[in-house]
This record gives sequence, structure tokens and C-alpha cells, in this order.
Amino acid sequence: MARVYQVPQHAFIWLMTGAVMASLPHFLTGPAWLPLFVITTQVWRILVQRGRLRMPAKITRAVVLVGAVAGTLYTYGTLLGPEAGIVLLVCTFNLKLLEMFKLRDAYVAIVLCYFVIATALLSRQDLLISLYVFAVLGVITAALIGINQPEANIRARQQLKYSLVLVLQAMPLMIFLFFVVPRVPPLWDLPIQKKGAKTGMSDSMAPGEVSSLSRSAALAFRVDFKGEPPPPEERYWRGLTYSWFDGTRWSQAVPNDLPQAEYMAYPGERNRDWYREVQRQQVGKKYNYQIILEPTRRRWLFALVTPFTEQRGIAFARDSRLINADPVRDVLAYRVESFTEMPRGENIPDWEKAFNLRLPEEGNGRTRSLAQRWRTEAGSDEAFIRKALSWFREEEFYYSLEPPLLTGQQIDDFLFRTRTGFCEHYASSFAFMLRSVGIPARIVAGYQGGELNPLGTHLLVRQYDAHAWVEAWLPGKGWQEFDPTAMVAPERVRLGLAAALEAQNDESFATFNDLVGISGLPLLKDFMSALDYAEFQWLKLVVDYDTDAQKGVLQKLLGDVSPMRIALLIGAGLGVVAAAMGLLLFWQSRSVPLNWWEKEYWALYKGLQKKGIPVSDDLGPLALARLATAHSATSQPAAKAWLRLYNDAAYRTAYQDKTTSGVALSSEDRRNRLKLRKFRKEMLRLI
Amino acid sequence: MQDVIRQAVTAVSTVVLGKEEQIRLAVSCLLARGHLLIEDLPGMGKTTLAHALARVFSLDYRRVQFTSDMLPADILGVSIFNPQTREFEPKDGPVFTQLLLADEINRATPKTQGALLEAMEERQVTLDGVTRALPEPFFVLATQNPVTQAGTFPLPESQLDRFLMRLSLGYPSAEMELKLLSGSDRRSQAVNLAPVVSREQLMAAQQAVDDIRASRDLIDYIQRLLAHSRSAGIFVAGLSPRAGLGLLRAARAWALTGGRDYVIPEDVQVVLGPVVEHRLQALSGGAVATATQKLLEAVPVVRRQ
Repeated sequence: MARVYQVPQHAFIWLMTGAVMASLPHFLTGPAWLPLFVITTQVWRILVQRGRLRMPAKITRAVVLVGAVAGTLYTYGTLLGPEAGIVLLVCTFNLKLLEMFKLRDAYVAIVLCYFVIATALLSRQDLLISLYVFAVLGVITAALIGINQPEANIRARQQLKYSLVLVLQAMPLMIFLFFVVPRVPPLWDLPIQKKGAKTGMSDSMAPGEVSSLSRSAALAFRVDFKGEPPPPEERYWRGLTYSWFDGTRWSQAVPNDLPQAEYMAYPGERNRDWYREVQRQQVGKKYNYQIILEPTRRRWLFALVTPFTEQRGIAFARDSRLINADPVRDVLAYRVESFTEMPRGENIPDWEKAFNLRLPEEGNGRTRSLAQRWRTEAGSDEAFIRKALSWFREEEFYYSLEPPLLTGQQIDDFLFRTRTGFCEHYASSFAFMLRSVGIPARIVAGYQGGELNPLGTHLLVRQYDAHAWVEAWLPGKGWQEFDPTAMVAPERVRLGLAAALEAQNDESFATFNDLVGISGLPLLKDFMSALDYAEFQWLKLVVDYDTDAQKGVLQKLLGDVSPMRIALLIGAGLGVVAAAMGLLLFWQSRSVPLNWWEKEYWALYKGLQKKGIPVSDDLGPLALARLATAHSATSQPAAKAWLRLYNDAAYRTAYQDKTTSGVALSSEDRRNRLKLRKFRKEMLRLI
Repeated sequence: MQDVIRQAVTAVSTVVLGKEEQIRLAVSCLLARGHLLIEDLPGMGKTTLAHALARVFSLDYRRVQFTSDMLPADILGVSIFNPQTREFEPKDGPVFTQLLLADEINRATPKTQGALLEAMEERQVTLDGVTRALPEPFFVLATQNPVTQAGTFPLPESQLDRFLMRLSLGYPSAEMELKLLSGSDRRSQAVNLAPVVSREQLMAAQQAVDDIRASRDLIDYIQRLLAHSRSAGIFVAGLSPRAGLGLLRAARAWALTGGRDYVIPEDVQVVLGPVVEHRLQALSGGAVATATQKLLEAVPVVRRQ
């Protein structure tokens, strides 16, 4: 058998480190047996390198490979699809390490390693993973440099240094290409399970569901305001409306026979009458902001009222919401312009009115009769609403994350017995009361509040900011927002959930704090907010830079975007980067600057030249001094002194004694420089 | 130390008239532990110079006249059978001396030339498998007729490289020639010279050459000379690193003969011609001396920004 290629030790270290680092992110997403597999192969490989073991025989490798395939099949039920594919890739890559017989195999392993780490970006694109990928790139490149230096006695650290320099040098080019090279849309859709899509609003709500959502501190979305953000009590992030009530559960719904055009308008199809009406009535204060939404796997988007956006693929829904064309699988950024007041609908279509008045035929009788009595007493819808809200405020109602279980007629049970609930309880019973007296009402679900990141201007909205409130339609005013929870626990709206629970002396406050970790170390909190700020900028700048954003940039740069112009731009950009690199190299290779005595020599040289004495640069200092003396004997003492000083500085030292540049002059040097200058001037004066 | 050397130079100058610079160069070559090649016509005082140097530095002296029928054994020695002891006994050749005058080295065949040059480089001789060191110090002063003469075997470049310097004495000036003609026989004068430098003093001086300081600026100058000789396109091939080392060594020795303990660029400029000319060939076919002059003129002594 031919001699087995021995990876040089300095390259081997980096190859193995790179292999471990590239496999690591996949441990989080892959099956539990994957780390075991990777560690086993790696240990085997290290023992081979040390000469303790042989490379596995062909039959062993085949068995292990079959095992890996079987394991993947067992875990995923298929070999197709990205998740199974990535696991297979990681397995075969690690097996390749045990099949390194030639230099070529080492190259294959390194290229595979690049590929394995690139696949880590399929499931996550945040800042941390991106920095990690860069680090791994550095390590793999170090291995690549290493196997190209077969000499022994090379220090491994040197390779990493080279590699980091290489990666850094490639950076400007990478940034340029990132911004300019046209992106080809993927030929197939990769349905990858994204992390972070576990919690969030759903399309229906029953008591207890929002409060369970509030036990998560996961990020819902970030908001970047152009200008001042609105005060906390105005931060109502509307996500979806529930119009259908079955006695327990509120659900999102539209009438079966209604065409989509009646309640949704995408950009480009906004000539509908109802949309024009909404657009005409832009009233209130204007807020301009960008929302960066974490993946929800739902189509609805969050915004303040009344949101307008020109972003492609985002529709305006008739209940003043934004809806994405596809479920949000990746982080999605969208820019919104909001007007703080709802459109003042003069008329409500019959279908909408009927839809928002519907109640189950019977049930919750006590609530119904109470509401009807109040309505008669109040005399008007507005007065009735005031009465009901003040009732919530004045009666003994409690706000709690852990409300007691409701039984039987749930709304009656809540309003007349337990009187302890979370926002969904209050919203639900208030909407029920409104409907039972003939006021069209619906529940709005979304988030309320948000925490301003101390470093940036951006707002963080987390799952525990989830909230539900009510909208009622009043003739002549249109849809109006009412928040019964704010009556019960005003702190919830102004200061957030934690403050509200604390103010209510609720037992769940402690559990909530533990869960969310608000009472953590202040230093850690600062660090986390700094990290979040970096993450936010990363998302805004890099992840959000998609085909559309690129088109915008190209249009700004080129005017008319044609393939020819893009090609020219890329060519020019590459040229600029190459030229900058060339300049840098030239700058580095530039000779060391002159010493003070060398400058002095040239000063004398030019001085003699000015006096009309023929000089040439093959004359040493001695010859120059002699030349001066030859022209004027009186200058001899000065010339002699000058020469002595010059020789002391330039020649009377051994090679290592003097460094030529970059070191501050000693006081002696400075004195000698002055003397040298004095003698030169004297010498020249006497000629 | 420097005084002794200066006295030695003066003493030799009383015999070889009007050649102070060449004598100083020859002494520098000796101090730098290099070998000297003198290229000159017959009768220019080469042998006298060798005699005088040997006397003044109190060295053993031998002379070998090279001819075309000479064999290596004529220089290195042979083993002779001794009938009494019934053993071969080594009989040293003329190379076992401290100062060897190899007269007209280019008249011998390459094989014989090679044997001598080998000994010069290694400073040892191997006879019948027995290696013997040559005496210390060991200094070869070879002379050669200008190669244009008939019946000569020119030394190849690789062998010329073994000589640290090549000098030419040249005709004396009119004044010196008058003095020469009016005086007594130079050769006998040389033999009668009193030793000035003891063997120990010579060895110490050779040691001192190593301690002469060469600053960064100076070494930089030498390096720029070497680099220019390679890139300027005036020579067939540029100077080798060995030539560079020789140049620095010769410049150190020259600085010592001038009474300085550090090298200045002028030292390099003086020794440049003798050290490099025999190692170079001018590209245009012109005189190598002119080309070397050009090299000197093209390289600024002090760095220019």
C-alpha cells in the first residue's frame, strides 16, 4: 500500500479544531447521537495521527457510514430535506477525516469543512453565529495554509496569524460583493425549522392563553423609531382582531362569502373605495418607524394604528392591520408610517356590523341583564361605555398572572365571582357587554408597551408584553379603542407587566420575576442590552439586506439597473479593492525613513551644490568634508568636527546598536543633531 | 597594534617603491586572512613584494614557479618509500609554508591549479589519506601574467573567487624609477629587511579585523552595492554573497590599516575594485574596471528617500 499522507502537525491542529468548531452548531439542531458520532471519529483521528491506531479499513468505514445513514433515517424518517441532509453532511465530513490517505483527501476535508460551517447559517443568521462562522473560517484557512507548508518546525500559531490576515484582507471584498452582486432567488424553498418561532399570538384566544404567553421573555419584535417614540401608554401594537365568539373562545374570522378584495389591499391594488377612504382620513400624530419582527410562522404583522406601508407583499387589512403575503419564517423588517387615530368610518358595512354583534344565543345571563339595565339607564352608547369602564375601575377587580379557574358561565363567573383576571378576561367580558347592548365590538390582540434599549433608539417588545384590548364601533366616530385592563391596573399600561403585578401585590409577581429574570445583575443587564443593540444593528444592516434593499442601493448608485452597469460596478469595485490592497503593500514595502544624520548628509550635499561645488552621491561624508575643506581652508575645523560627529552617529557603532526609525531620540542624539546642524551651517558659511 | 601595522607598511615601501596603496591593500588582504592574486607582467616587483612581506611579518616563505608540466604532487608533496624503515614517509611539498609565492599560476594545467586552490580554501592537505593542516597563518600570493599571453590556462571564475583581492602593481612613476635605478638591488634589500611584526602580533591583528565595527548604515551601503551589481545590467552576473562578505572583510582590514576601529564608506570604496573586479565580467565587453567605477558612481553612499 502506498505511503499514507501525514498531515503536518501544525496543520493538523487547525484541521481538527476547525472540524470540531464546524460541527458544533449542528449539535444544537441535530439529533442527540450526532455529538457522540463526531467525538468518536475525532478521537480516532487523533489517535491515528499519534500513531496509536490505523485508519479504519474500508469495511469499517462502510459500516459506520451505513450506521450514520440509518441513524439519520431513524431520526428524521427521511434522507431528504435540509435537516437530514445537514446531519448526513456532518457525519460524512467527520468520516472523511478517517479517510485521509493522500494530500488530495486533506484538501477535500478542508473544503467540506468550509461547506459544513456554511450550512450553520441556514438555521440562524444572528450576530453571534455570524461572528462564530468568521472565527471558524479563520481556523479552517489556517489548516489550508498549513497543509501547503509541508516543512517541519513551523509554529502553528503563525498559520493562524497568516489566516486571520488573509480573512481580514478578504473582508472589504466580501462587503462589497455582499452589497452589489445580484442575488439569484433560490431554485427551491428550504423549509427549515427556524428557532424562536415557538411562542407568540395565535389566531384565537381563550382565558389563560395570553397570561401563559406572558411567562416568556422571548423577543417578539424590535422597533426603530425615526424621531421620538410615543409614550408607553400609547404603545398599542395591534396584531390581530378577534370577531368571533363562541362563549369561551374568541377567534379571528371573516365571513365566508366575502371576497378578499373587500378586506385586504396589497400595494398596487389600492384603488378600492374602502382603502381610499381610510387613506383620506389620515389624522393624528404621525410616527415613522421600522419593525424587525422575529419569525412567527404567522402572516399577521404588528403595528400602531393606523399603519401604512409601501413594502411589497404586505397588505393593509380593513381592520387597520398589516398582513404579510407569506408566513413570517425569517426575521422580517418592514417600515411603517402610523397615524395615531383610527379612520373615522361614517358607515359600517352590514356584514361587518353583524359580524361584530354576534353572540351565542344564550349563556352569561347575569352579565347580559346587567349591561342592558345600564344601557337603559345611561341613555347613550358613550355613557354606557363610561359607566362600564368606571365599574371596572371602582369595583374590587384584581389583575393577576395566575387567575383562578373559571367554571360554568365563564363571563358571569369572572365578573361576579372571581374578579381576578388577566387582560384577556377583562377584554373578553367588556366586549361581551358591548355586544349584548348592540354596540359592535371586537377584541384586539397584540402587545402593549415595550422597553427602550438604553443604548439605541430602539424599542424591545417581548412576549410578556402580550396584551388584549377592545375596540368598539360608535356611529360618527368609527372604531374606538378601549382598554378595560388599564382601568383595573393602570400600571400595566404605563410601566409594564412587572410593575402592574407588583402594584397589585400579586403572588405571581415573584414567579414572573424568576421566569423573566428582571431582577438580574445590573451589569449583566447592561451587557445584554449592549448585545441586543449590536444584534439589532446587525439585523437592520445585514440580515434585512434582501433583494429589494439591494435593488434600492443599486438604483441609487447606478440610476438605471442593467446587467451591463452591474458588471461595470462590480469590475470597478474589485479594481478599487485591489488598488487599495496594492497601495497598502506599497506603503508597507516603502523604505525606512531617513535618520537625522542621513538627513544632515543630504542637507550638506544640497548646501555644497548651492555653492556651485560639483558633488555626486558616491561621495561619502568624508569626501564631502574634504571637498568643503578643499574649497576653503578656513572651514576645516568645522568640517572636521562635522565629520567626527557624523562618523560617531553613522559608522562608529556596531550593527545592532542603533535602530533606524520608530524610536524616540535620546537627549544625547538630540544634542548631537543640533551640533551637527551648527557645524554644517558654519562650514557652508565659510565657503 | 595599528602602529605596528603602519610600520610594516612603511618598511615594505622602502623596498617596493612608490606603491604604498598596493602594499597597504596587500597587507589588508593578509590581515583579512585572504589570498592575493597579483596580475602583472614579469619584472614588476612581485617577488620582491612577496619577499618583503615575508620578512616584515616574520613568515616562512617559499616560492613555486608554475609551469605547464607541473603536477599536484610538486606542490602538495609525495609519500616516499624509505628502504630502511620499509615504510612510506610523507615528504611535504612547498605548500607547507606560511607565505607561498605561486608564480605565474596560469601557466600550470587546471589540475595543478585546482590542487593549490583546494589547499588555499581548506587550509589543509590530504596526502595518501592522511589529512594535515597547513601552518598558521597561511597566505598565498599568486601572480599571473595577463591572460592575453600565449600558453596560459586562465583560471575559471569559481577559482578566481578564492582570492580575496586581485591587484596590479604597474610601472613605477618616473621619479620612483629613477630612485629605483640609482639604488642597490631590491631583492637583496628585501632579504635584509628586519622583521617588524611578530607572528603573534599578526595573528592578533587578524583577530582584531573581526572586531572592527561595521554599522548598520555601512552594511546597508554594501548591500545596496551588491544589489545594484545584480540589477543594474552592467555585469554578466552580479556579485555573490561570498563577494559581499569578502568586501566587508577587506573593508574592515583596510580600516584597521588606516588606524580606525570602525569602517567608513570610503574604506569600502577603496577595496571594492581589488575585491570584486576579478569576480565580474562587464556585460558590454568593456573593461571591468570601468564597469566597477560605474557601479560605485550609481550607488549613493547615504540612503536617499
